[in-house]
Amino acid sequence: MLEVRELSIAYGGAPAVWDVSLDVGAGELVAVIGPNGAGKSTLVNTIAGLHRPRAGVIRCAGVELGALPSHRVCRHGIALVPEGRRLFTRMTVEENLEIGCYRDEARAERAAGLERVYGLFPILRERRRQLAGSLSGGQQQMVAIGRAMMARPRLLLLDEPSLGLAPAVVDAMFAIIRAIHDEGVAILLVEQNVIRALDIANRAYVLEEGRIVAGGAPDALRRESRIREAYLGVAN
Amino acid sequence: MPSATLLGQAVVSGLLAGGLYGLLALGLSLSWGLLRLVNLAHFALALLGAYLTYQLGTALHLSPWVAAIVLVPAFFGLGIALHLLFARFRVTEFTSLLVTFGIAVILESVIQWFWTADYRRYETPYASASFKLGPVFVPLLELFACLTAATLALATWAWLRFTYVGKALRAAAEDPAIAGAFGVDHRRHALLLSGLSAAYAGAAGTFIALIATLAPSQIWAWLGVVFAVVIIGGLGNPVGALLAGFLIGMSESITMAVVAPAWAPLVSFSILIGLLIFRPERV
Amino acid sequence: MTERVRVVVTLIAVALALACLPLVGLPAFYESFLYLVFHWIALATSWSILSGYAGYFSFGHGAFFGAGVYTTTTLAAAYDVPFLVTLPVAALVAALLSAGIGAVVFRVKRLRGELFGLLTLAITFVLATIVLNTRLDGGPGVYLSNVPLPRLVGSPTGTFYLLALALATGTLITAYLVTRARLGLGLYAIHDDEDVAEVEGVPTFAYKLIAFAISAGVAGIAGGIYAMYVSYVTVGDTFSVTVPLYVVLMSVLGGARHWLGPAVGAALITASLYTFTSGQQAILGRAIVAFVLVLVILLLPAGVVATVLGWRRRRADVSAASATGGAEARGGSSGDWRTRGREAASQSEFGAADPPRASAPPVALQCEDVWRAFGGIQALRGVSLRVEPGEIVGLVGPNGSGKTTLINVISGHYTLDRGRITLGGDDLAARPAHEIAGLGISRTYQIPRPFAQLTALDNVAVAATFGAARCALGEARDEAWHWLEFTGLARRASALPHELNLHERKFLELARALAGRPRVILLDEVLSGLTPAEIASAITLVREIRARGVAILFVEHLMRAVLELSDRVVVLNEGEVIAEGAPREAMRAPRVIDVYLGKTQAHVVA
Repeated sequence: MLEVRELSIAYGGAPAVWDVSLDVGAGELVAVIGPNGAGKSTLVNTIAGLHRPRAGVIRCAGVELGALPSHRVCRHGIALVPEGRRLFTRMTVEENLEIGCYRDEARAERAAGLERVYGLFPILRERRRQLAGSLSGGQQQMVAIGRAMMARPRLLLLDEPSLGLAPAVVDAMFAIIRAIHDEGVAILLVEQNVIRALDIANRAYVLEEGRIVAGGAPDALRRESRIREAYLGVAN
Repeated sequence: MPSATLLGQAVVSGLLAGGLYGLLALGLSLSWGLLRLVNLAHFALALLGAYLTYQLGTALHLSPWVAAIVLVPAFFGLGIALHLLFARFRVTEFTSLLVTFGIAVILESVIQWFWTADYRRYETPYASASFKLGPVFVPLLELFACLTAATLALATWAWLRFTYVGKALRAAAEDPAIAGAFGVDHRRHALLLSGLSAAYAGAAGTFIALIATLAPSQIWAWLGVVFAVVIIGGLGNPVGALLAGFLIGMSESITMAVVAPAWAPLVSFSILIGLLIFRPERV
Repeated sequence: MTERVRVVVTLIAVALALACLPLVGLPAFYESFLYLVFHWIALATSWSILSGYAGYFSFGHGAFFGAGVYTTTTLAAAYDVPFLVTLPVAALVAALLSAGIGAVVFRVKRLRGELFGLLTLAITFVLATIVLNTRLDGGPGVYLSNVPLPRLVGSPTGTFYLLALALATGTLITAYLVTRARLGLGLYAIHDDEDVAEVEGVPTFAYKLIAFAISAGVAGIAGGIYAMYVSYVTVGDTFSVTVPLYVVLMSVLGGARHWLGPAVGAALITASLYTFTSGQQAILGRAIVAFVLVLVILLLPAGVVATVLGWRRRRADVSAASATGGAEARGGSSGDWRTRGREAASQSEFGAADPPRASAPPVALQCEDVWRAFGGIQALRGVSLRVEPGEIVGLVGPNGSGKTTLINVISGHYTLDRGRITLGGDDLAARPAHEIAGLGISRTYQIPRPFAQLTALDNVAVAATFGAARCALGEARDEAWHWLEFTGLARRASALPHELNLHERKFLELARALAGRPRVILLDEVLSGLTPAEIASAITLVREIRARGVAILFVEHLMRAVLELSDRVVVLNEGEVIAEGAPREAMRAPRVIDVYLGKTQAHVVA
């Protein structure tokens, strides 16, 4: 589904990424974990076409994405839930969702898409005429995920979906992520909450200082002291 | 204290004049609010439209309404050309003010070159047509201008509110990168909006030709009033621009009736200054 | 003879030579022409003191010009005040008007850039309406033909020529001295990033007011002389867009950031307008001028003078293969430091000799119960911490835990809602950011925010001048050199920030923070985005800074570095301190593990 090879990204003051290679198979849920500032957001934003890579290859279903203008990337079945949600705060909930299905193929299925999102997040149906900026953090995260789902993605890029949410809301959010995954959507999940991410993922990579330092099955990674070291600086 | 009739007349004239302010503000508000370009040349375009309407009417005896059918699409193209220039040189919100200031002066010179600095009056049979609403005179042309402004403002509002292109424009105004990630091609939409904004200037020009006495320096006369309208109405908000136009128009005409005509500019400029200082976050 | 004396003497000598021209019988036509040249030189140069140097583009120069016109007109025509006496009054009225406007407008952060331009234009029209409707004018215009003109030389045109020459010379000297003084460096810093300038210690509000008042005062005198020159003034002509249009154009054409730029632009444009004399030609002339404005903004955004100096610099760089020099093109640098720069560049770059100045005695930074909310979100909930001199305290916590907010509150960028922050005995809470910098707190930004149009050296010199070090300007560049050497950037001293790579920009942030001679330094993620080798050199550098007795509060996500560097760590979560102590112990606290890894992990591993 997604193939990233020797990708290097550097721009402005954002954390850089060096020589990263990773794969997401069709219908797979892959987590990228690592401490803040490791370059996780830089990585997913670049896959979504927000930045140009400095070197390397991003391929989705065989199509090379790195050179496309950003508004073309989504045609290849990629949708982004960005860090910090980045909703269109002065537009209503429903309008935000409609931007999600902006590209032609998705637009045709607008009604079905809305039903699906409102099915996942019933509260959004009630709030659909409200300005997105006036929602609570958890509801905003729902809109951000819903907006990406409206694009009918084959690969969903989720950047820190639990950031700044209350624990109960985080539980609900992970249940939803699992449900989306069960529908057959491949997911690349960037998450600071290591335990949650490893619980849900099929595979995971550890990103540290812009490089992938470990990867593999969650159980194996959970035992690795490397993760604790990356996060807390101390192994036991 | 002026009589009730005089006040009533002032309110009606103000409302009608305000419609024209709203029409002029419409294009400016769209390009500022949704493209972050401050277009001082907007007024010059409107006045150019007025002079061209005048020229087509006096030299070729073309009805102003036929002239509008020619001019409005031509201005649409002009707007696109201007935006291509801005996009090519990556004009920012701030440099747009300087560049369009220069363009406005060029257009003013062009107008003065062809039509001189003399006052021009386009005499048409519509100019004097009016009806009486109780004791108050309602000039037909102004009423028509006002209704056109209202129609365009509402249509633009609906376009931004209900179509995919409109929504994409609003989304990209807030976060172009994320809008782009969902497939919004902001550069194409920006061209469309710039064309539309210039077309509105052309439409306003038609009415200016019919209603006002023309002089090249009028470019600057509109400036303060219309900027006040744009900012009061809220950037990128077409209905807001219309309502703010009514508000400013009425406050001006009441000042004229109650105090003195020459003091009228003070009202709109003071409102503009007050807003900038006390509510700058609206911009 | 220093450069400063040389330039001022040259300007005065040229002016004196020009002053002799009427005595040797210059034709009146040329006197009038040169009067206009000097008139526009004074107006354009004065405009650029605020708008060019500090970047507050005013479209309201006509208002101050007009204030001068009508001050002289009213005093001379209605109250028989001698003409020459009205001129200082005109300057005063215009300066007070601008100071009054500035005192209100400069407090509103949003009123920068295009909104300031729009506002000043609106003020011009308001003033015009007031003058038009009061006894100052009343509508028909005012004649000054009965006002006696003092004869400085034989002819009236000669008199105007001399007056304008004196004004233009005075304005150019003022502009030159401003660019070579603290004020100029501060204004350049405001131009590039006003918030950072304030945090570096530039008293931004006061500097903007001073620049605005100087700028308006000169325009007032120019207006006073002009009123007498035309001898019939009307509101329409005085407050038209001609003045703002031409001064903006002349300055932008010549280069608004260079002291000589506007004068060059003024001379070029006045001369070209004069070749189109009247009627249709004048219209054509104005259109051409406006067309040139558009072209210059699009193609030569730095202006003619800076562009030409830039070419010369590049050619010199190629031939001398030296990275220094060329500061003239960027404005704001005197010549003396350059020679020293070349010598120093060849010396060792790292761990330079001891600093030329002694730092202030070390003190501790203390935060007690600090609260700060944004809208409904409590970003800081009663944070208390203390950093001793020579101590490195690591401030860690997940995203959004309030680390950067705390730095912004300490450095004065945000005010605090409740609590106390003290540095030694000084309470910081109520002070503006530039005073806090002056007391000895400096910071770096996570994403470097250098002054984009100042060289690396001048970036550091701003901090040396306005920080706790309070260096005089020449001394500041020596000090800046020292810190560039300390951070290994001496080779890049004359580079502009955009020519630096991320690592160099991060180190420039450090050099800038150090040059203020801080007693406390706040580092906001200096390591993010660096390669492992660069991280290692940055860690060495932070150690050296601590060795100088500076207290360091250090926000960082990279745990390896936090553990290696910190004497203590403070862990923040949701605006609260949840753990504090020796690094390894604090990071093993169950609450910290919960926050970082999630609930279960604490049990699994414990």
